[in-house]
Amino acid sequence: MRNWTKFLAGLAAGGFVLSATAALADEIRVGITMRMVSENGQKYGQMVMDEIGLINEAGGINGHQIKATLMNDECKSDKGVANANKLIFQEKVHLLIGSTCSSVSLPIVDVTAKAQVPQIIPHSTNAQITQKGSAWVFRVPVSGRFYAGVNAKYVGENIGKKIAYICAADAASQNDCDAMQAQMKSQHGTDPAYVAQVQEKEVDFRTHMQKIKSAGVDGIMVAALAETMSRALIQSYEAGIGSDVRRIGSSSASNAPVPKISGDAVKGVFYAAAYSNADTRPIAKLFNQMVKDRYGIHAPDHDFSQAYDLIRIVEIALNNSDLKLTNSSLAADRTAIRDAIANVKNYQGLASGPISFCADATPQCRDGNKTPVLIAYKKGGEEFETEVLARVSMPEDFGL
Amino acid sequence: MDFDFGSLLAFIIFGVTIGVVYGIVALGISLIYSGLDIVHFAHGEIYMFGAFLGLVLSQQIGIPYPGAMIGAMVLAALLGMFIERVFYRRLTRSGGGYTVAGMGMIICGFGMSVALMNVAFLIWGADAEPFPVEFGIEPLEINDISIPPSYLLTAVVSLCLMGILNYFLRYTKIGLAVRAVAHNKDIAFLMGINVPLFISLIFGLACALAAAAGVLVGPMQSVQVEMGYLMLMKAFAAAVVGGFGSLPGALIGGILVGIFENLGAAYISASHKDIYAFLLLILVLMYRPAGLFGVVAKVKA
Repeated sequence: MRNWTKFLAGLAAGGFVLSATAALADEIRVGITMRMVSENGQKYGQMVMDEIGLINEAGGINGHQIKATLMNDECKSDKGVANANKLIFQEKVHLLIGSTCSSVSLPIVDVTAKAQVPQIIPHSTNAQITQKGSAWVFRVPVSGRFYAGVNAKYVGENIGKKIAYICAADAASQNDCDAMQAQMKSQHGTDPAYVAQVQEKEVDFRTHMQKIKSAGVDGIMVAALAETMSRALIQSYEAGIGSDVRRIGSSSASNAPVPKISGDAVKGVFYAAAYSNADTRPIAKLFNQMVKDRYGIHAPDHDFSQAYDLIRIVEIALNNSDLKLTNSSLAADRTAIRDAIANVKNYQGLASGPISFCADATPQCRDGNKTPVLIAYKKGGEEFETEVLARVSMPEDFGL
Repeated sequence: MDFDFGSLLAFIIFGVTIGVVYGIVALGISLIYSGLDIVHFAHGEIYMFGAFLGLVLSQQIGIPYPGAMIGAMVLAALLGMFIERVFYRRLTRSGGGYTVAGMGMIICGFGMSVALMNVAFLIWGADAEPFPVEFGIEPLEINDISIPPSYLLTAVVSLCLMGILNYFLRYTKIGLAVRAVAHNKDIAFLMGINVPLFISLIFGLACALAAAAGVLVGPMQSVQVEMGYLMLMKAFAAAVVGGFGSLPGALIGGILVGIFENLGAAYISASHKDIYAFLLLILVLMYRPAGLFGVVAKVKA
């Protein structure tokens, strides 16, 4: 009798282990690393998780559930790389989504290339991300090289050519600043009237603003993360620089904290982004309402839309992948997902233009969205308003 | 950039306006150092808490800005006294300064800094919060320089606070008792002064000053959980430059740090603006180790 009990217990334990292993092998594992220190940052991550949850509720991908693991990298490259390593080597994810900040995505590209794991980027704009030549990386947002081209064209034709630059030290802002200066030079033959390299979280711009005021510029480009940009915008007015000097934002001007913190100082600021909440398409109106209802956000910025588009693209790619999902097929499944993402063509979602990828490990193939939209703030504060100035589709090799 | 005196004047004015803020935070650090023989590493977070309290009182409860500042000072003082009474007193009883307990105080200060930052994060989140204040006065225009009312107010209020503190310490009986405790706790105790109570008072006073600085800086730079760290560093630099423990030294040190970093940013490079404050600190330590107004510290037994 005692032997029978032992046998049954062993059978039950073995069955449990086998079923657990089978469950692990049968699911699609997706790792996500994003910056989730701010209120909006947490909601971007939440949106990704919610959308994956909805896919699972609807039956999953070809009958397979998606197991998503969301990690916070706090916009710190060391944490981002640690997250990527954990997700790839411990969680054994089939696909990595991340990150928000360019300074985090850049080193992760090397990790995913070496481990041969497909990586799809939700928010980072630094042009170098896709210029590293990794066959495993895809970018949903518009690359900084396209933003710079549109900004420079608009500035040169409508504002003037004497531009001052305030460039924060984070990777995205540095890239936006450098690319804009290069485009102003190549399109209009002008050098910067003034350039200030400032720290990522600089709080005091008064010295720069005094110098910019003395220089008598036509416009000021502030390339910085949201909070730093807001401080610079406010202090530019405090220094007595009038509204006739136009303020140009980097792509992070799209983030909701900018109009919230800047208040009236954001009025007239224009920037290039991948989505405008002033978009009148029915899909955009539905999305705006959904984000408002679900997350209590007055108007979603382009990081919300990009997170949403990314999940739709991942859904398409996973549906088109022939996945075995066994322990031994991990490498083959990763390759299948990469190839399926590379086959996504002409995806029409919330983004300003169609998103297409292809197989070559070049920026032309891997920068999916090539259509920046030029947006200006009409009103600041929590209930901010924007208007679309232009929407421009760029040639795929622009800025290379 | 071409040199002109208008710009130079502007940079000096900007330096003074932020320098007096460094000065009042440094005053608090010096006060605590005088009273408790410890360096309080969580003082930056008290400054941050003060800014948030001012923001809540002003923007959410609707108290006018001056009232919000006083309210934030009172609440921060109470918070400081609570922290001192509950967490620090046990350690300070065993001695401060260079003793083992003094080292414990330093570590406890670091821990308190992290704890306060996380509490603030839980309450207010990580986003920067705008602190718009309508001062109702036009910016002061001097030639090509525009000095916003918030900068003027910061300088005036900071100087007034320092004046009031100076009067309080020099010309009131309580101030005299505070100075006695700072000078020698044992003798002060023998003279009938309630030393623990006065140590709490010193701590509360220092925290109130930090809160005032936070409420003053809020409208200029917005309010954020991480704002305390850099201010603490600058205030330390100011306190060391002026002479640790010297109250006038803290003010002068703060103004010097403010001017030095603004001129450095303007005429050398703005990319690493924070370096200049510490460069000044190193220079002062090399040539006047006790600071400009300090006295050479006696090694404790």
